[in-house]
Amino acid sequence: MKDKIFAVLQRIGRSFMLPIAILPIAGLLLGIGSSFTNPTTLDAYGLTGVIYEGGLLYTILDIMSETGNIVFANLPLLFAMGVAIGMAKKEKSTAALSAAVAYLIMNTAISVMISAYGGVEAMQENSTASVLGITTLQMGVFGGIIVGLGTAALHNRFYKIELPQVVSFFGGTRFVPIICSLVYLIVGIVMFYIWGFVQTGISGLGSLVLESGYAGTWIYGIIERALIPFGLHHVFYMPFWQTSVGGTAVIDGVTVSGAQNIFFAELASKSTEVFSVSATRFMSGKFPFMIFGLPAAAYAMYRTARPEKKKAVGGLLLSAALTSMITGITEPLEFTFLFVAPSMYAVHCVLAGLSYMLMHIFNVGVGMTFSGGLIDLTLFGILQGNAKTNWIWIVIIGLFYALIYYFVFYLMITKLNLKTPGREAEGEETKLYTRKDLNARNEALKANALTSVLILKGLGGKANISDIDCCATRLRVTVDDPSAADEALLKQSGASGVIRKGNGIQVVYGPRVSVIKSDLEDFMDSPDSDNIDKLLENVMSSSEAEKKLSESSGGSIKTISLAAHMNGTAIPLSQVEDEAFSSGALGDGAAIEPLEGKLYAPCDGTVETLFDTKHALSIRSDNGADILLHIGIDTVHLEGKFFTAHISDGDRVKTGELLISFDMDAIRKAGYKLTTPLIICNSDEFDDIALEAAGSISAGSSFLTITGKEQ
Amino acid sequence: MKQFEYVIRDEVGIHARPAGLLAKKAKEFKSEITLEKGGKSAAASKLMAVMALGVKCGDRVSVTIKGDDEEAASAEMENFFRENL
Repeated sequence: MKDKIFAVLQRIGRSFMLPIAILPIAGLLLGIGSSFTNPTTLDAYGLTGVIYEGGLLYTILDIMSETGNIVFANLPLLFAMGVAIGMAKKEKSTAALSAAVAYLIMNTAISVMISAYGGVEAMQENSTASVLGITTLQMGVFGGIIVGLGTAALHNRFYKIELPQVVSFFGGTRFVPIICSLVYLIVGIVMFYIWGFVQTGISGLGSLVLESGYAGTWIYGIIERALIPFGLHHVFYMPFWQTSVGGTAVIDGVTVSGAQNIFFAELASKSTEVFSVSATRFMSGKFPFMIFGLPAAAYAMYRTARPEKKKAVGGLLLSAALTSMITGITEPLEFTFLFVAPSMYAVHCVLAGLSYMLMHIFNVGVGMTFSGGLIDLTLFGILQGNAKTNWIWIVIIGLFYALIYYFVFYLMITKLNLKTPGREAEGEETKLYTRKDLNARNEALKANALTSVLILKGLGGKANISDIDCCATRLRVTVDDPSAADEALLKQSGASGVIRKGNGIQVVYGPRVSVIKSDLEDFMDSPDSDNIDKLLENVMSSSEAEKKLSESSGGSIKTISLAAHMNGTAIPLSQVEDEAFSSGALGDGAAIEPLEGKLYAPCDGTVETLFDTKHALSIRSDNGADILLHIGIDTVHLEGKFFTAHISDGDRVKTGELLISFDMDAIRKAGYKLTTPLIICNSDEFDDIALEAAGSISAGSSFLTITGKEQ
Repeated sequence: MKQFEYVIRDEVGIHARPAGLLAKKAKEFKSEITLEKGGKSAAASKLMAVMALGVKCGDRVSVTIKGDDEEAASAEMENFFRENL
């Protein structure tokens, strides 16, 4: 069960990566744009002459700020869709659409509930937000995540649903947005009642903070970080920043309340000698961990990524680290480890809290517009002078923070084997492999599919299985013919025991059974599961081939490309309507449904045999493939009628050379199909034969790729 | 070493499909199985070689089996020819 929760959290974490990928750029736009359109900032630096409302530079900065902001403002929607895409097993596009619909429905339901209960005024302060023009509860990305997860769950359950004939149009994937709408209508109403209590509890924490000095600042910091994933941090810190909860001060004769308001009033005032730390203690703490700590944590994640993943992960981590460092927008980085390694996030919260407390103790008085990056540090710390702000302590403590974050994260990742980006188990991620990367492929095939192949074979094949389920430790299968099950094979797949009861077979694997089951189900959905025997043979022979390869410690992989032998439509061999070909008995290959009565050479080589009936020939390619070309199905019975050969036995041919022409209409009239397979007769000498084309194809274009060990 | 002769009755001779079946069958045995027709010979397990013999209906082929499992192979191959060719 624990493993299962963990696996789900990991999948959620990975599903975040899609929406997170847009955050760094949005963060930079927002950070730079908003800093230089803030009237207080402009006033303070005398930039009003260059950047003023209506001016070109201001408009550009304003566009940057607003376009960056729109991404953050709609983050919940992006997360709803992203999580739904990531968690949906199949038909992911439907899940995305459903999540968008569900999110709109849920918020609208909440919105109507809010008006029914007296509108925004009747609600707790800062508890509502306008989302996509809908006045709803401030739920942050949490709102998006519950939509994403719920939608994915509904989607995975219903996307194959069959409805009665009359309403069958609404079945399958079309049913998903419908059921999601209904469910989230109800969720919205329920949330209206529940979320209020959550919010009340949070603001109650505020008073606790105020009454406990340095420790209070620490607690404030921890809570602020811990609430970020739930979007509740606004409810929590806004009162400190904007209301009398965060203190009241009289500056230049004006009473100002709220920590951020006090800081900016002091910034604007010429009489300020030292910024009030009692106000900035709710802000300054962000600088050390945002500029120094988190980027160091990113470096630790980079260092612990698997070597082959470093390049890919490096880009993500570097941009996220720079965003945190420069703009103080930390979500891109925090979300990369929040779900895959919650324990690390917990440590991060404690350290962040300490940072607030240390800034309080060292009297650091640097405020911020919205977060603690280099931009705000420069504007409100360094440029104000150390005498007013004590900003130098941010750098000193920050350097320690970098070391602490690096070592703590490094140790936690390696000791607890946390699956931060680039450390996911092999094959969990959709991986693009190059065909030449043969060994890697075999490795992956052995690790993942082999278990499923063995189980499937051990259970007597796909057709024999009527139902699969699992409990905590056992795969529970109902089969049609229990005698077809092979215990030895099942044990080979890693089972510790096999229990038979009538048509039921229980295979004992231990707690990892749930993973085995989902792997098996995924595998059964793949076309590979229809020819497990061949796959099993491949795995065995490729492992033998690998052994030979390592023994001879030489021998490189060779690739043979075959061109299309006709103008027409490419089809997989399995769809050829002649079992001699489609079964693969003659060898692997593919076929073309011709549009024109001409057969061309697929490669350079020598004509070995032209059949007397001129409907088929074999070619030995220069690089060692034995190729059989067979025009039409059963056309041997035509005894050469309608076929004209342009070559004879022993001729050298070049790719694209015309070999045989034939009268398509006459052959069709005689009642024969013209599907023309190209078979590699010595398939077993190669490791992989892959169809490169689908649909319409012209003679001479890339058709098949054969890879194999150099002989 | 075992040997037998057979006259092909299949009207299309040893063409692609039967040749494929023959090659597949021949691979099941450890013994070396050779097909001979009119002075040309071919390993039965090599599809291309078999097809290159151009065996037609009415042709007489001789099949030679040599190896550890030649007894069993010979019996099965004779059966195979009778049933398929």
